Amino acid sequence: MTAILESSRIAKSFSGIQALTDVSIDVMEGERVGLIGPNGAGKTTFFNCLLGVLTPDTGTVRFHDRDISELPVHKRAQAGIGRTFQRIELFSDTTVREHLLIAERVHNERGSFWKDLIGRGRPQADEIDRCDAVLELLGLAELGDEPVEALSLGQGRLVEVGRALMTEPSLLLLDEPSSGLDREETAALATTLREIQAEKGFAILLVEHDVDLVADFTERLYVLDFGSLIAEGPTAETLQHPAVRTAYLGTLEVGDQEAMP
Amino acid sequence: MLASFGEDFFRALLQGTPPGTVYALIGLGFVLTYKTSGVFNLAFGAQAYISAAMFFKARQDWEWGIVPALILSVFVLAPLIGLTLERLIFRNLRTASAVSKLVIAIGLSVALPALFELLANYKPVAGRPPTGIVPDGGSVFYDPFGIYPFSRDELAQIIVAVAAMLLLGALFRLTAAGLAMRGVVESPRMTELAGIPADRISALAWAISSMFAGMAGVLIAPRLNTLISTDFLTLVIIAMAAAAVGRLVSLPRALVGGMALGWFIALFNTFLPRWSDDYTWLKPFQENLTPSLPFVVLFGILVFWPAIRRSIDAADPLAGVDPPPPALASATRHPLLTLQTRAFGVVFFSFIGWVAFTQADVRWVSLLTQAVILATIYLSITVITGFAGQISLCQGAFAAIGGFTVFQMADRYEMSVLLAALIGALIAALVGALLSLPVLRIGGVWLAIATLAFAFFFDAVMVKFSWVGGGSTALLTGTRVPRPVLGPLDFGASDRSFLALAIVVFVIVAVGVIQLREGTIGRTLRALRGSEVAAESIGISPARARIIAFAVSAFIAGLGGAMLAMQQKDVNYGQNFTPFAAMFWLVLVVSLSARTVEGAAQAGAAFVLFAPVILDGTFLTWLPFITEDNLPGFFPIPGKWRFVLFGLTAIQFARHPEGMVEFGKRRATRKRNERYYARDAERAAQAAAEAGMAT
Amino acid sequence: MTDAPILELTDVSAEYGPFRSLFGVSLTIRPGAAVALLGANGAGKTTVARVASGLVSASAGSVTVDGTDMTEARTYEFARAGVAHAPEGRSVFATFTVEENLTLSFRRALGRSRVKAGLEEAYSLFPRLGERRSQTAGTLSGGEQRMLSLSRVLVEKPRLLIADELSLGLAPIVVDEVYETLATIRGTGTALLIVEQHVQHALELCDDVALLDHGTIAWEGPASEAAEVVVTHLFDREGS
Repeated sequence: MTAILESSRIAKSFSGIQALTDVSIDVMEGERVGLIGPNGAGKTTFFNCLLGVLTPDTGTVRFHDRDISELPVHKRAQAGIGRTFQRIELFSDTTVREHLLIAERVHNERGSFWKDLIGRGRPQADEIDRCDAVLELLGLAELGDEPVEALSLGQGRLVEVGRALMTEPSLLLLDEPSSGLDREETAALATTLREIQAEKGFAILLVEHDVDLVADFTERLYVLDFGSLIAEGPTAETLQHPAVRTAYLGTLEVGDQEAMP
Repeated sequence: MLASFGEDFFRALLQGTPPGTVYALIGLGFVLTYKTSGVFNLAFGAQAYISAAMFFKARQDWEWGIVPALILSVFVLAPLIGLTLERLIFRNLRTASAVSKLVIAIGLSVALPALFELLANYKPVAGRPPTGIVPDGGSVFYDPFGIYPFSRDELAQIIVAVAAMLLLGALFRLTAAGLAMRGVVESPRMTELAGIPADRISALAWAISSMFAGMAGVLIAPRLNTLISTDFLTLVIIAMAAAAVGRLVSLPRALVGGMALGWFIALFNTFLPRWSDDYTWLKPFQENLTPSLPFVVLFGILVFWPAIRRSIDAADPLAGVDPPPPALASATRHPLLTLQTRAFGVVFFSFIGWVAFTQADVRWVSLLTQAVILATIYLSITVITGFAGQISLCQGAFAAIGGFTVFQMADRYEMSVLLAALIGALIAALVGALLSLPVLRIGGVWLAIATLAFAFFFDAVMVKFSWVGGGSTALLTGTRVPRPVLGPLDFGASDRSFLALAIVVFVIVAVGVIQLREGTIGRTLRALRGSEVAAESIGISPARARIIAFAVSAFIAGLGGAMLAMQQKDVNYGQNFTPFAAMFWLVLVVSLSARTVEGAAQAGAAFVLFAPVILDGTFLTWLPFITEDNLPGFFPIPGKWRFVLFGLTAIQFARHPEGMVEFGKRRATRKRNERYYARDAERAAQAAAEAGMAT
Repeated sequence: MTDAPILELTDVSAEYGPFRSLFGVSLTIRPGAAVALLGANGAGKTTVARVASGLVSASAGSVTVDGTDMTEARTYEFARAGVAHAPEGRSVFATFTVEENLTLSFRRALGRSRVKAGLEEAYSLFPRLGERRSQTAGTLSGGEQRMLSLSRVLVEKPRLLIADELSLGLAPIVVDEVYETLATIRGTGTALLIVEQHVQHALELCDDVALLDHGTIAWEGPASEAAEVVVTHLFDREGS
């Protein structure tokens, strides 16, 4: 397997405080990778450096063997990095299907002023078919004509996923997808994501708080604390790493620790 | 030689001091309002004007003494207005975006002066210059250096400006109330956590800043020959350069910025004429640039001073406590409802068309034509504000570019005016695109102010160039524009045929706008407006989309401007396209509906027809038994109510950005909409049940 | 009267826009007691803290402070009743200097004459703040902003002190100091409500623990029994 995303030695500081120190994270093709850490560990900062929302002080981001460190956000999106948001970001006053349609249109770069004027800018039949296929996959087929304001948070998050899928990303970044969802909704979301990922074969980088979801969903795990990586490796093993438990619990004497494998 | 240079320099500085003080006073007031209320208060000028006019009326009409007049206008009326604005409007808008607050402030600066003039029965009269707060303020002079005499009024301005800076500075630095006021602006929640009632503090802040606005108004008044509200607005916009130098937070910087602006202009006026004596190519610049210098400086500061861009929007750390605003009323309409609306529209417009083409006299045909053309221009606001969510205050300038191009092309080359109109629209589009490059980087409120600066710059300079507004020739002959002739069709021969042409142009533009809205560009802009970060995350480039929007909007405005010039057979810049007119356009369109073609059409009709039809009471004469002779006594209602009404409706912009009419329509039709959907669901269920029975 | 609870939440529900974030939470804090509020992200800890200080109004249930019904009261009335809340994150006035941040609050809480003494106390608690007293708070580091936000409530010695995500962004040694101060303040009769993700310190300081899960109280009991419950809760795959 080849790495599609290679971020090496990313460092970032804000007014003197070091938010990230030499963080290097790789994601292989079609892989499901997790990134966890307590609040304030630097997950969001790292995420923003990958996406181009923030410029790291040092370090490079390579995607498909191309240096994208200098590209603006929308260019990175065009290169094939899709994302969802922790605090859900949908286009207000717009229906579910329109979210997918505009992403589809932008992805195929079929927009032009003159085409718009002669009415060719409207959604075309083939586009609608492709969007409906993705909605079907997400289990949102019934909701295509609903305005997004009418959706539950879980459905909204799926719309975000669908919108990102229309740009045919080779890497999907999920920013705390379980936040605001209860246990059942989280489990349903994980199931849907796994099905789609199996079908489309893109890679996933999951930033999460919910240890359950991470353990369940990812193959490999990185753990951040105080801005640096404290552990990495296959998920199940990494979760047992003493440093990880310390990061979450402090140096608490945990009674059942000896009983662990 | 050198000595005289030094003396001239010094004299210019002294000369620039009084106007500099005026800018400083307003700049200080602007910073004060922003610091204590967080509102980018364009209505500051309106508040200053009201106090100045009240003072004037009390002094000259009622012959009150200086002190009682001052108490009434500055210490009673001004804070009363401030408290009213705080309680009724701004208290509910603490979490509204800066741009919505700006729109509200523009609405207020249109509505408040008109409301005051109506209630206080005040009319600006030329030839009765206002007097200041010191006896013989304009006639007793002091000349400390022997080269430039200061009047008492000017000294009073200087003293008050410096004292105000020190006092207000002390208020903010040293007193608990000052700290609390700044605290409320930054985070009302955190201020309350410290045990301080945010509402009371915010009311106090408005009272103080309004009092200062009133004081500034009364002090500035003697510099003007006649008290006119628009002059105050112009001063506020110039002084915004001073406030921008203070980055909206620093009182000393605002003071220095204002003074520096005054000095800079005075030096410029002193020395440029001499250089242009030596270098004749400087002459036209000298003549034209001088009046526009403040706007050039403002534009330059906004665009080229990077500090503005990273300015001080300290986010409320507890903003997350408030839930996001509720969603707009549902956007999906049942097809049957859409069909009904369209059918009604066809019937309604057919009726209007029938009246216009068979019944109406020349005056009504002309009014209708004007309404249709303005509706076309307003479609440009639909694109830039409704679709792209940007506030542009230079649509008047874009329209004027269209009008002037037709005038020039017809006047110089006898070109077909229809072709010239297209060229004008293209030039406007080009100007719009070029303008958008620097201003888009600023964003938000400053973008709106930069476009306003451009509008004033255009107004003060470009119009006077012979190759734009005709220059001195225009004074003699006007900027005459012929009506178009197309083959056998002569649109000059009959006003009705020109109305038909205007309707055709409106329909073409409207269809184009709808196509854009439903096409890639419109949907891209809608995505950007819905969530910029999300739009970028699917690969949309915000800059590209907005430049296109600016260019398209300017094109439409230019085309509309050209049509208006043809209809009136003259560009009539001063009546049609001034920055103030364009500000009212924006208020009108956003208060009706900035997002729909109907909104633009309604705004066109409202601008032209509201006064003759509603305010004059003409609509009553269309009813049986009422003629012009037995109209109720309160008709005709003064035309100023138009400004009050639409200015105040703009207040709703923060809560209903889709516009009042659109909001009302959605609410009114929601019931029926829901009923249709419920019926569909019922039928579907029934069909499913029947299908179930069958199998 | 003296033993009446300083804070009593009864069946409190709260909403965030269309979402419900608390479902019938009841919590009692007696004078001088220390309660730790634990739970996963999004469990509703912050909302409980906000309801307790009046930042968020309960949509159902009741809130009393010192026996007075405050369900409908404004935030500043909570502060005046002796509830001091250091919210999560960088909750400082970013355009104010360090000194102005503290003064704004001390003026009312301590009285005009004691502002200076209060400032000195804050600076001796966190010498870093003293060095930066005239620096704009927005330019402080995240940790220093936390110190500023905390020093305010620590110095005021309120009847009830609420600290949300107390140790977040603070160096471990500073966290130790803060907890020492909290222990001292507790000795003077201030009740504590501590919201924490790093649980160890909280368990050492507090006598009672409330564990929140998806907007309800999942477990309540003495701190001594809490450790095991918390571990099973956060890592319940391993625990099972």
